[in-house]
Amino acid sequence: MARGKKLWKFLRFAALATVLAVAGFTLYLDIRVRSEFEGRRFALPARIYARPLELHAGLRIAQADVEDELRQLGYREAPPEGESGWFSRKDDSLEVALRPFVFWDGRQPAKRVSVSFDQGKVAALRDAAGAELALARLEPLPIGGIYPAGNEDRVLVRLGEVPKHFVQTLIAVEDRQFFTHHGFDLRGMARAARSVFSDRVQGGSTITQQLVKNFFLTPERTLQRKFTELLMAVLLELHYDKNEILETYLNEIYFGQDRDRAIHGVGLAAQFYFGKEVQHLGVAESALLVAMVRGPAHYDPYRHPQRALERRNLVLREARDQKGITLDEYAAARANALNVSKKTGTGTTPYPAFLQLVHRQLRRDYDEADLRSEGLRIFTTLDPRVQGAAETALAKRLAQFDKEKRFGQPGLEGAVVVTDPQSGEVQALVGGRDPRYRGYNRALDAARPVGSLLKPAIYLTALSEPARYTLLTQIDDGPFVWKSRGAPDWQPANYDKKFHGMVPLRTALAQSYNAAAARLGTDLGIERVLDNVRRLGVERPLRPFASTLLGAVELSPFEVAQMYQTIASGGFRSPLRAIREVTTQEGRPLTRYPLAVEQVFAPEPIYLLSAAMQDVVREGTARGLEKFLSMELGVAGKTGTTDEQRDAWFAGFTGDRLGIVWLGYDDNRPARLSGAAAALPIWGDMMAALAPEPLALARPERIELVWIDPQTGLRGGTSCPGSTEVPFVQGSAPSERAPCSGAMDAAVEAVEKGVERAKSWFERLFGR
Amino acid sequence: MRLLLVLTILLASCATPPAPEPQPEPPPPTVVPPKENIAIAGLMETARTEAAAGNLASAAASLERALRIEPRNPRLWHELARVRLKQGQFAQAENVAARSNSWAGDDKALRAENWRLIAESRRARGDDEGARAAEEAAGRIAQ
Repeated sequence: MARGKKLWKFLRFAALATVLAVAGFTLYLDIRVRSEFEGRRFALPARIYARPLELHAGLRIAQADVEDELRQLGYREAPPEGESGWFSRKDDSLEVALRPFVFWDGRQPAKRVSVSFDQGKVAALRDAAGAELALARLEPLPIGGIYPAGNEDRVLVRLGEVPKHFVQTLIAVEDRQFFTHHGFDLRGMARAARSVFSDRVQGGSTITQQLVKNFFLTPERTLQRKFTELLMAVLLELHYDKNEILETYLNEIYFGQDRDRAIHGVGLAAQFYFGKEVQHLGVAESALLVAMVRGPAHYDPYRHPQRALERRNLVLREARDQKGITLDEYAAARANALNVSKKTGTGTTPYPAFLQLVHRQLRRDYDEADLRSEGLRIFTTLDPRVQGAAETALAKRLAQFDKEKRFGQPGLEGAVVVTDPQSGEVQALVGGRDPRYRGYNRALDAARPVGSLLKPAIYLTALSEPARYTLLTQIDDGPFVWKSRGAPDWQPANYDKKFHGMVPLRTALAQSYNAAAARLGTDLGIERVLDNVRRLGVERPLRPFASTLLGAVELSPFEVAQMYQTIASGGFRSPLRAIREVTTQEGRPLTRYPLAVEQVFAPEPIYLLSAAMQDVVREGTARGLEKFLSMELGVAGKTGTTDEQRDAWFAGFTGDRLGIVWLGYDDNRPARLSGAAAALPIWGDMMAALAPEPLALARPERIELVWIDPQTGLRGGTSCPGSTEVPFVQGSAPSERAPCSGAMDAAVEAVEKGVERAKSWFERLFGR
Repeated sequence: MRLLLVLTILLASCATPPAPEPQPEPPPPTVVPPKENIAIAGLMETARTEAAAGNLASAAASLERALRIEPRNPRLWHELARVRLKQGQFAQAENVAARSNSWAGDDKALRAENWRLIAESRRARGDDEGARAAEEAAGRIAQ
């Protein structure tokens, strides 16, 4: 009796404990479901855009390039009618229906523009009514994102934007009782069990259960997990209405991979597979997407088109049977092919090297977590046309070198950086032989000896002292030995293994003579030269050795670009920028990265140096450029080759672009290539493809041009054959005349001076 | 012009026949502000309106947009310097004004204006001596 009582007591206790435990567990799940679902915001990747193309009268761009850009943006070439997003060609003009776009400075509505071209330029820009337009900004090309864990990408949609037939097809196939059940569906489960023996397509889990599974649970399949899933589904249904659950589900579903990018949600799936917004999905298209829900890889329409088509038709039949679509819709849809858009997917980005730069610059101001979840919109400076030219030029030469085996064996690597010299905006960045490779970025991270690329800093230092150095000052290129205690003697040799005696300063630079540069640099003072290297924008520590002057310093192509940027912009340093603006997902501006300039050198020495760098191209080591570009462009540049030809460099600028090209091996073995023979042609090909603007140096007031006799380096003129005008800081030109220069030249000069004086007198008189 | 001068002098002095003309290199293109482009005019107008409304960041953005089209237009650099000054970004105001000067060429009025702007900026950050020097520079140009 007592034992029975005891047992009874124990059972009661056990029952109570179980109830409590289950209640506790349910409560715990309830809290989890509510807090996580409530607080659940889909992590949205930061979206990154290229620069928008701005059309205006006078812009130098070929019609074909504009058409290319429109095609990349997904514009259709179509007759001029209907929804925006098309263009049509008519002789020398384009009619474009621009789509609306939210820029950082506000929303730009959809509009029609007509662009006419003439000789590689935009001749005129008009609106639909024929009135002249000042500007037309195309939407910027999306070039990638910074993705949440698992590289999940999605475009959020509201339930109301999803076509009815999509929802009805989904429900017919995935969860017929969705609108009536309480989170689980016993009949559905039974049907699913039976369907093992039939060809029907139903699964056993409700939409709610699927959502719970994706949201809260790990993918293992145990009974306990199934129970938890069921409980959570019921709780979810208790707290939220059907539409909220459905909308979340539509944004959550996984629709397959684009390389390393995971396509989630029906919004992105519509864009990715059909190139359209979700509202415009047709019945057949919706059915294909619904078909993929069960197994996006298994029913991948690109890899298994037949399998995908069969399942789509099965889905259509089911939708028809459940009255989700009409018989007519069914018949029409069934006749359709898969019609997926041409596969253009490039994974997370086609420009991984540039994106790395963007990401690094963003990390200075933003949390990594925010970048990966807040759906920020990042407007960058990448110019897809320039990037394309850089990639093509590098690939072409490397392929040629591989074939000829002239410059080393396959495996030779390269990097390219292109910037706008006026603003410091980075227009293109190539990080290696394979521009799609998402790894080692040589443009940013390969620190390589720069060789002669450092020489301009030596000459800049010299030319800052016009009383001592002009472009014509004789520099000694005789054998040179640098002795310093505790270090072996340093004896730089010239590239041609000869010494050239006394040569004018500009020739020493043009021919890149090492002995002359080393002597000049050590005369000026190593520290002084290195100071100027730092002022040009190199931030890395520099060792105060004489050999540093000849480029025994390792810099990345990006750092070299920063250094040459300052020269190309007339002595104004601008930090290289890859980002213009950041806005929220809705378009509210967050951060601007403004144009900033700092004058770090007087204009005169920079002008003289740039003129000398034009001589490098005109008559020096970069003469080979004439095979690629007209000499009239006045390109300024510098070649660089390091010991045993391990690195080949070319740095140069035109009126509108600065480019740096590097070639070498990752393991630093000799590549048997020189800057002039290997890097320069890549630079030349690239710039030639971009129709560069001539380099018009702004001549500072204190610079005068003086006719110089080439034989003596003294004042020449009409009577000295071959005389050229050479720039000097006022008062630094030779006063002596060459013997060939007669009284007449002196008279001409005097008259010219007189005219100058009279002119300024008149100007003062009339108060100009 | 040069040839004309040479000929005049030759005729006047009845000297020996002229030596072969040296082959002059093409002179560096002079920096003339390009003809006002309507895109630039439009953006400048926008920038002015924005600046007048106190929306200085937008004004600067519009000017930068214009500078991408015409990076050598000294007027645009000058306007940007003006906005930076209003924003209290003195270092940028002075540097951007110097950039304007580097492209200003023969436009003495603009160069003087840039120096006055630099003077104003230096004064605002308490550098009176520098301000006076800049004013003198402006005065020299205006003379």
